[in-house]
Amino acid sequence: MTVTPAMSVITVAERAEIRAMARELAARELVPRAAALDAGDQDVLAECWRLLVQLGLDRVLLDEQHGGAGLGVADLLATIEELAVGDGGIAMCVLLCNAALATLTDEQLAVVPSGARWALVPGAAGTEVRFSDGQLDGSLACALGAHGADGLVILLDGPQPAAWAIPRDAPGLKLARETDQMGLCAAPAASIEMAVIRSAQVTGEVDGSVGTASAPALLRAGTAAIAHGIARRAYEMALEYAHARRQGGVAIIEHDAVSDMLAAMAVRLACWPEIAADPAGLALDGERALAVKIAASDAAVASSTDAVQVFGGTGYMVETGIEKLMRDAKYCQLFPEPNWVAHDELMSSARAGRAA
Amino acid sequence: MNTMMPERSLSEQFPRLAQNGGLDVRELERLRARAYRFAQEQMRPRALQIDRRTGEDPSSFDWDLVRAGAEAGMLRLLIPKPAGGAGGMSTQVAVVMEELCAACPGIALIFGAHALGISPLLLGGPSQWDGVLAELVASEYDSEPQLMACAITEPEAGTDVEDPDLLRHARITSHARRVPGGFRLSGTKRFISNGSVARWITLLMPTDPRRPAESWTCFLLDTRSAGFSVSRVEHKMGQRACPAAELTFDEVFVPAERIVSREGDGAAATTIVLACSRPPVAAIATGIARGAYERVLGWLEEDPAARGLAERQHVQLALAGMEEEIHLARQLYMDAATELDHTALGGVMSHPGVRALGHVPALLRSRPPVRGWLASERARDATIALLHRSTSERAVTRSLALSSMAKARGGDVAMRVTGAALELVGLRAGPVRAELEKLWRDAKLTQIYEGTNQLNRLEVYRGLCHAETMNCLPPLRRIHLDAEAGAHTDGRARARLYADVRRQTNLDGDGGRS
Repeated sequence: MTVTPAMSVITVAERAEIRAMARELAARELVPRAAALDAGDQDVLAECWRLLVQLGLDRVLLDEQHGGAGLGVADLLATIEELAVGDGGIAMCVLLCNAALATLTDEQLAVVPSGARWALVPGAAGTEVRFSDGQLDGSLACALGAHGADGLVILLDGPQPAAWAIPRDAPGLKLARETDQMGLCAAPAASIEMAVIRSAQVTGEVDGSVGTASAPALLRAGTAAIAHGIARRAYEMALEYAHARRQGGVAIIEHDAVSDMLAAMAVRLACWPEIAADPAGLALDGERALAVKIAASDAAVASSTDAVQVFGGTGYMVETGIEKLMRDAKYCQLFPEPNWVAHDELMSSARAGRAA
Repeated sequence: MNTMMPERSLSEQFPRLAQNGGLDVRELERLRARAYRFAQEQMRPRALQIDRRTGEDPSSFDWDLVRAGAEAGMLRLLIPKPAGGAGGMSTQVAVVMEELCAACPGIALIFGAHALGISPLLLGGPSQWDGVLAELVASEYDSEPQLMACAITEPEAGTDVEDPDLLRHARITSHARRVPGGFRLSGTKRFISNGSVARWITLLMPTDPRRPAESWTCFLLDTRSAGFSVSRVEHKMGQRACPAAELTFDEVFVPAERIVSREGDGAAATTIVLACSRPPVAAIATGIARGAYERVLGWLEEDPAARGLAERQHVQLALAGMEEEIHLARQLYMDAATELDHTALGGVMSHPGVRALGHVPALLRSRPPVRGWLASERARDATIALLHRSTSERAVTRSLALSSMAKARGGDVAMRVTGAALELVGLRAGPVRAELEKLWRDAKLTQIYEGTNQLNRLEVYRGLCHAETMNCLPPLRRIHLDAEAGAHTDGRARARLYADVRRQTNLDGDGGRS
């Protein structure tokens, strides 16, 4: 498999440049398309994906030999955060694709065409998907990014975590688009049915640090970055509106009822550097990734909900684009697992550490 | 599906109900049971389908459900008995709203917005019984029910048109211009629930744009009038089954007799209407929270994927927290509703004179001399005088504060409970997830409409913490705002007039006047 460096060797200036590029892309290309992406427009998604591929954002973690940028986890997370300011769903697509491709072996990567969109799909071993005698069986509901993906990497968490790469056309694999997807709609979800996908049809089990050990952590750290991007956008939009909208003869930012909410949003954003310090390490530290994902997604839900409140009735209307942030943020609380389950896992780790 | 009527009866939960003059608790129980059946049998099975359809086409509307609701008596809750209605007040509407919203808040809002549209007419007293209200009841029997809406919000003025103080500085762009025989209405109203489907709309506009607070006036508009149009139907985050429309008024003529109450009484009318409508909105929020809670219980019992989860303390604590929040939210809205019905409009409706008039056959009331008198200025003044004798501005201010408290808390509870429910089931939960996502989207609106929660809490401060008394009853003497008459009334003059009226009638003091 491809070994992915947790920390690349680029300079601080280069890192800032990458972030600036993603920021510009989000503002110029994603924000104007956010409503169409939210409506599940597959043509717009394909159009955006082409732009991302041109910039190499589908293979951030891969080395040049495999058409990648050879960057590290910190760069991927910074990029994802900036993209999420434009659209959380697109940022999720980028995260899922990078995470999926990073788990593939060199041989598997060699046959993945340029521009292909893959998705990493987390699942629970035993309850949702069973693996025995080289066969995969089971079903996964609401797998983000799976609809329209060229391939999936099924990542089963459990006592013995493991992953399988499955091309879209694998016999026995059935995908049905999720009709009721509330958030992150640009990462279109599908329900997955796997009926006896035999070992010959499974392109390979993945091992190594990025695959089985830290792919879940990468997903959580990435989801945290997306949540933070959403919270940033919510604050920007609410602040702008609070200056423009007048009530009682003054701009609404002059009302404590509004400025208190904006201050709370600013505080949550200000805490992010503390929470997400050493982002590269996040993908290697499962417990930290869990904690950061919980904190960031809770903050994003609180901030986006407050942002809608600042907008009042206008914010409840889809065309404003602010209520979408609430829906996207809520999905960050639920993915890759609901936050209460994440709490549980966090404490399981703590208990296990104590016992050891 | 784990859903059931609460184990305890309303009178067991709320002993004060029995003390509420004129309220038949057994009738209220029957009403609640009827609403529950309608909600579970007719609304819930269609809720997601309608939500999806209106998500794609916001202007689509399900009239079949309105007809079914009319058959179940959901449209005539607030209509006085002499007009053929159920004679309900805030308490009845609130109890029904909780039941309906546990099934589908969007569909429930159709009936809630209809009641809101009716509520200003109640301030018009008996003069309104034999007009539009009777027509609304008659339309139900023809199986072609008519809907009402209430239009207050404007593109540049939302929360501030719901507060008498903010109204003075609000950027009102609508205007009702006096013309021979009535008024010409111009402007735009926004986010009007039922606005695109209503046959009649009660709407508020200033007759003098320079003094919106003093000239804020309630009109009853026939939506078939020339110049009225629906300029757009909004694409909302939730509560989609009930359309929110932008309405355009292009010199729409409204005859003078279609002023509800009197010219310039709109600010007071808005305050009373909000005091009446906030307990039902709090009940909407409570119903949403209850709906989410019941769906989680059902999921835990029925879905194999949830097997064993109910044994987890985390899940037990979350469910207990939901039950606790819902219980408190219900206590708050019932307290606010019963207080309001007891102290405000309830006194008017239970007045012996009004009750006696209610016994007069409609045929007799509709005869020209009686009808003419009922529609006269003197009759409208008499209704206002009755309101003053039945209650006080302090009592209404206090009621408004309690209603606002219930509304703000209810909205927060709805958001917390639906959010927690969604988190419990997660993305993989199947059909129940879509229902919970819908309820979560629906819940957010309860923190916004009928005044944002922030505004509502400021009214709690004014009415309870600071014990203010708002000018929330229409004055006993009519204020002339006709510019040609040269009798402009500025804010100070109006305050003097209020003080004068209070002095003359000795109506100050806590609680209702006997």
